[in-house]
Parts: sequence; structure tokens; C-alpha cells
Amino acid sequence: MSEPEKKNLAASNDEASFLSRRQFFVKLGAGSLAITGAGATVFAVQYLSPNVLYEPSPIVGVGRPEHFPIDSVTLDPRAAIFVVHAQKGFYAMSSVCTHLGCLTVWRQDEGIIACPCHGSTFRPDGKVIGGPAPRPLQWLKMWIGNDGNLMVDRSANIASESEYVQL
Amino acid sequence: MQKSLAAPTGTAIRNPIQALARWRDEFKEIFSARVRERQLGFRYTWYLGALTLGTFSIQLITGLLLMLYYHPSIPQGYADMKDLHFVVSSGVFLRNLHRWSAHAMVFLVFAHMAKVFYRGAYRPPRELNWVVGVCLLLLTLLASYTGYLLPWDQLSYWGTTVGSSIISSTPFIGEKLRFILLGGHTVNANALLRFYVLHVVILPLAVILLVAIHLWRLHKDGGMYVEHEKNVEKR
Amino acid sequence: MTSDPKAPHEIALPQPIEEEKSIPYWEMLFRETIAIELLASVLVWIALWWNAPLELLADPQQTPKLAKAPWYFTGLQELLHYFPPFVAGIILPTLIVVALVVVPFFNVNIKDENLWVHHKSQRLAILGIVLAALTVLLIRFDAWDALLPVWLIAIFMGIAAANEGRRDRGFRRWLSSKPLSFWIMTWFLMEAVVLTSVGTFFRGPGWSWIWPW
Ligand code: HEM
Ligand code: FES
Repeated sequence: MSEPEKKNLAASNDEASFLSRRQFFVKLGAGSLAITGAGATVFAVQYLSPNVLYEPSPIVGVGRPEHFPIDSVTLDPRAAIFVVHAQKGFYAMSSVCTHLGCLTVWRQDEGIIACPCHGSTFRPDGKVIGGPAPRPLQWLKMWIGNDGNLMVDRSANIASESEYVQL
Repeated sequence: MQKSLAAPTGTAIRNPIQALARWRDEFKEIFSARVRERQLGFRYTWYLGALTLGTFSIQLITGLLLMLYYHPSIPQGYADMKDLHFVVSSGVFLRNLHRWSAHAMVFLVFAHMAKVFYRGAYRPPRELNWVVGVCLLLLTLLASYTGYLLPWDQLSYWGTTVGSSIISSTPFIGEKLRFILLGGHTVNANALLRFYVLHVVILPLAVILLVAIHLWRLHKDGGMYVEHEKNVEKR
Repeated sequence: MTSDPKAPHEIALPQPIEEEKSIPYWEMLFRETIAIELLASVLVWIALWWNAPLELLADPQQTPKLAKAPWYFTGLQELLHYFPPFVAGIILPTLIVVALVVVPFFNVNIKDENLWVHHKSQRLAILGIVLAALTVLLIRFDAWDALLPVWLIAIFMGIAAANEGRRDRGFRRWLSSKPLSFWIMTWFLMEAVVLTSVGTFFRGPGWSWIWPW
């Protein structure tokens, strides 16, 4: 290695170590800021997500089975569910449209369930006939309570046509 | 610069006239002291930016007045709307003005953006101002969206239900995002309060801040853009 | 008042300022104030005559037959009718915002160069491919109204290409001098206008097609 080159190397080494000390503190500063930022984000997300909600209980009684004649679809607007009495038995479906959350209604004359918002239509078993809805209406867990009433747990999703309630 | 009555910056002000003159000179700093006639021409801007600012001022004034009667709670918010219509003197007028001026503001923001684009006024050094403008467009739309919930009528409720469900469609984090925005699984009292805070505090403050930057950059970048940037002079 | 001598656009002042007529700043403020006052009086007048809508109290148990957003969101509603929510509500708006933000950072937009001067045949081929792809995509989703602006713009771009090199001062010459960004922005604005009008005037209960008259 020639003389000047060596000198250059030494100089750049010096500079490098000077910079790296500087860089060390810059990194330290930036690192602490990043950690603080991440921590603040976590706290913000936690703070913004309420832990207790004053929402109605997901379990509702929908009435006595005799009130639902065979081959009928009944909307319970209070609970936002359909109670259906089909040949195979009773089942319950959420009436909340799987597209963007509007409430669907039963159209007796056409025999379909329809959403007023963007025009999705469903069969009484929840299958999509048309419109932008991506999924069938959600089936919900249903059983007969101790008092003989039909009960539905609106937070318990079940697969379509997986369970029917028999008397 | 023209000769000024004011003592040069940095020297003591001795009397009110000097103070006023200083103030006037400072004010001139915000705008260009002289503007070339072409820059003023109606055909360059159609005054769309100024008009947008005008509607925003109307929003501020009417909004602050509406706040004196509006409670962000259920169902009181709706009852307050009814009161504004039938009980409060001029209440319905203020509400109408706030609503229609909001519509005008959205329209004007879009029109202003289109006009700026077709004039090519986004060219350097005005890039930053263009980006600030895009942010202002988004803030205006957000202000309209959050304000829409406040009357708590059928349109508000279902509009917000649908609008916030769009967020849930984001893969993985969608449900969580919507939960955080609404403070619940459905549009409820928490959601109304959150939208209210966004609508009357956070978004207006952000708009004011960005408008200030927007105007400051406009001044710094040499005032209104005229074709052939090379001719642009600064006073 | 000082101007930063380093900024390149300020050095190259070919002519002295006095060449052009100039007016004091307060004249500008004055004119803008007048404009704002005129607008304000129009809005006041509207607010005196037309009431802002107020429907029944919010009822979480019943969706109204027609839940239409205010006009500036009906275009979005129209998109939601055709495309999955994630596409219509998140991806497309994000793309639009990104496209808007980057406008001043592309050299083509700065140079403002006529789209058809160079590589005309390649560019026509690309235009054809994009047109075909968009057409297939939009028809696949039944979005006929969104197809209209696509074709209108394509036709005008074709006219512009055919008239490349004209020297007269007519409409076709003007068209042929337009850069790519002009076409994209104009397309976007046309889509916005068409979708918003369809959503506002041509949609009834269940978002079905209706005639406004
Ligand atoms: C700083 C400014 C603002 C304040 C303090 C404010 C305040 C309010 C208040 C208290 C309400 C509820 C009363 C009502 O519904 O009429 C409201 C509603 C509303 N605001 Fe604002 N607002 C401001 C700016 C804006 C802006 C910039 C926009 C949109 C461009 C906007 C759009 C709306 C809309 C669409 C409503 C529903 C209006 C209605 O139902 O009459 N607001 N605002
Ligand atoms: S919410 Fe039911 S179709 Fe959109």
C-alpha cells in the first residue's frame, strides 16, 4: 500500500469511529423514540377499546315453538333474527346483511329475504340469491329452554344447515 | 418594498401609528405586496380556494353556535335537532346553513383540486402544497362523514352503520379497527361521542392547521401559479 | 422583501417585474372577499328556504327502505353495489388518494408532454390492452355505468392520437397536445360525475335502477 493511501485509510478510520459514536447516540435516540411510539400505540389501542359494553345480552328467548307454523319465516326485529320453521325443524339466522350490516326483511309474497341497502337477496335458508352479499346469512345456535321457549344465542355462530331444533 | 411608516423590524415602536403600520407590513408578509394582474384573473382560480375557505368559516361559526344546543347523547341529540327546528329561535336556519354550507364545501374542495390540476399548478415548488391539499380534501370528507351521525336520525344511523362496516372488510384487522372507531360492536352511544369529538375538535383543528400551512406555502412558493413558471417573480 | 437566491425558479427572471400590470395585494383580498360574500348570501338564501333533512329517530331494529348517503358518497355507494366492500370501500379509495398524492412527483406530469409525440404505436397498443382489460373487468361485475367514461375517454384519446402533429388552433389540436396525466385525471373526474349522478338520481329502494322522472 502506498503512503498516501495509508493516510487516507487512517483518516477515514478516524472519521468512521467519530461518526459511529455520533451514530450510536442517534440510533439510541431514534430507538427510544420508536419504543416509546410503539408503547404509546399499544396503550392507545387498549384505551380506545372499551372493556365493558352496555350492549344487550346475546341470549334471547323468541317465544314458544307453537307460534311458528311449519314453513314459516318470522322476523324478530327486537333481536334482529329470523326464526324459521322448516320441514327439517326450527333454526335461527341473523337478519344482519352479510354485506354491510343493514337489516334484511322477509318478503312473504316473493318468498325471499331482501336487504334494502344494496339489494342483496337470500333464500329462507340464508343462501345468497343475488346482490353484493358475499356470504349467506349467519345461522345461530338455537335450543329449547327449560321453560319451553325457543332460545337463541346471537353470539354463537354455527354452520348453515348444521343443526335443526326438533320438538 | 415600498417605503413604510413603520420603524424597521427590530427597532422599538414609539407610538400607536407605528404599531399599526408595523402590523400592516407584517400582514403584507402573508400575502404578496403586489400581485400581477394575471394571477388575479378570475379565469385562473375561479377563486375556488378562497370560496372553500369561506364555506369553512361558515362551518366554524354555525358549528360553534349549534354546539350550544347540541348534546352528543342518545336520544338527546335527536331531540336537540327537533328543538333546533321548532323551539330555538333561528335554530333551523343555523342548522340548514351548517348543512348546506358543508355540501358546498365538499363540492368546492373537489372543484378547487380539479382547477389546480388543470392549471398544472402542482408543479415544483408547489408539490408540498398539493399534498397538503389532498389531506384537506380527506379531512373535509371525514368531517362530513362524522357530522352526518350527529343528528341521530334514521339516515345518520344507517349511513354510519354501512360506512363503518366497510372498515370491517379489511382482512385481519378490519373488525378491530371498526371496534376502535365505534367503541363498540354497533353504532351506539360511544360511537356518537367519538364522532362528536372528531367532528367538533380534532378534524376542525387539523383543518385549521393545514389551511395555515397551505396559505403559508402559497405565499412562499410565489403566490398563485401562472403558466410558464420561469416568469414568476417574487414582488 | 427577500427571496431565497438559491431557489432555481427565482434566478431565471427573464423580464423585469414592471413589464406586467400589477395590483396591490388588498385588491386581491377585496375581490376574494366579494366572491365569498356572494357565495355566503346564496347559501343563506338556500338555508332560509330549504330545510336540512331530518328523518325519524334512529331505530337499530329497522333499516329504512332507502338509505341513501349524501350526494358526495353516492358514487362510493354505487361502487359498493358492484364490487366487494374491501375493493370498493378500501382499495379503490386508497388507490385514488395515492394517485392524487403522487401527481406532482412524476416527471411526465412536470414536462407536460403530449402523450402521442413519441412511441405512438406502442402507446396505442398499451391503450388498447388497458381498454380491453377494463372492459372485461367491468362487464364481469356488471358495472355498465362505470364503463361509459372508460370508453368516452378512450375515444377521445384515439381522436387525439389521430390528430397528433396538427398545427392549427382548434379543439382537435388542443386534444392532441394533452399529456397522460390529463387523461387519467379527466377519466377519474368523469367516473366520479357519472357514478355520483347514477347513485343520486337513478337508484331507488334496494338500490334498484329507477328513472328520475
Ligand atoms: C369547526 C368546525 C365545525 C364545528 C364546530 C361543527 C359542529 C357541528 C355540530 C355541533 C353539529 C351537530 C348539529 C347539526 O347536526 O346540525 C354538526 C353537524 C354537521 N356538520 Fe359540522 N362542524 C364543523 C365543521 C364542519 C365541516 C368542515 C363539515 C363538512 C364539510 C361539517 C359537516 C357537518 C354535517 C354534514 C353535519 C350534519 C348536519 C346536520 O345534520 O345539520 N361540519 N357540526
Ligand atoms: S348491506 Fe345488505 S346489500 Fe349492502
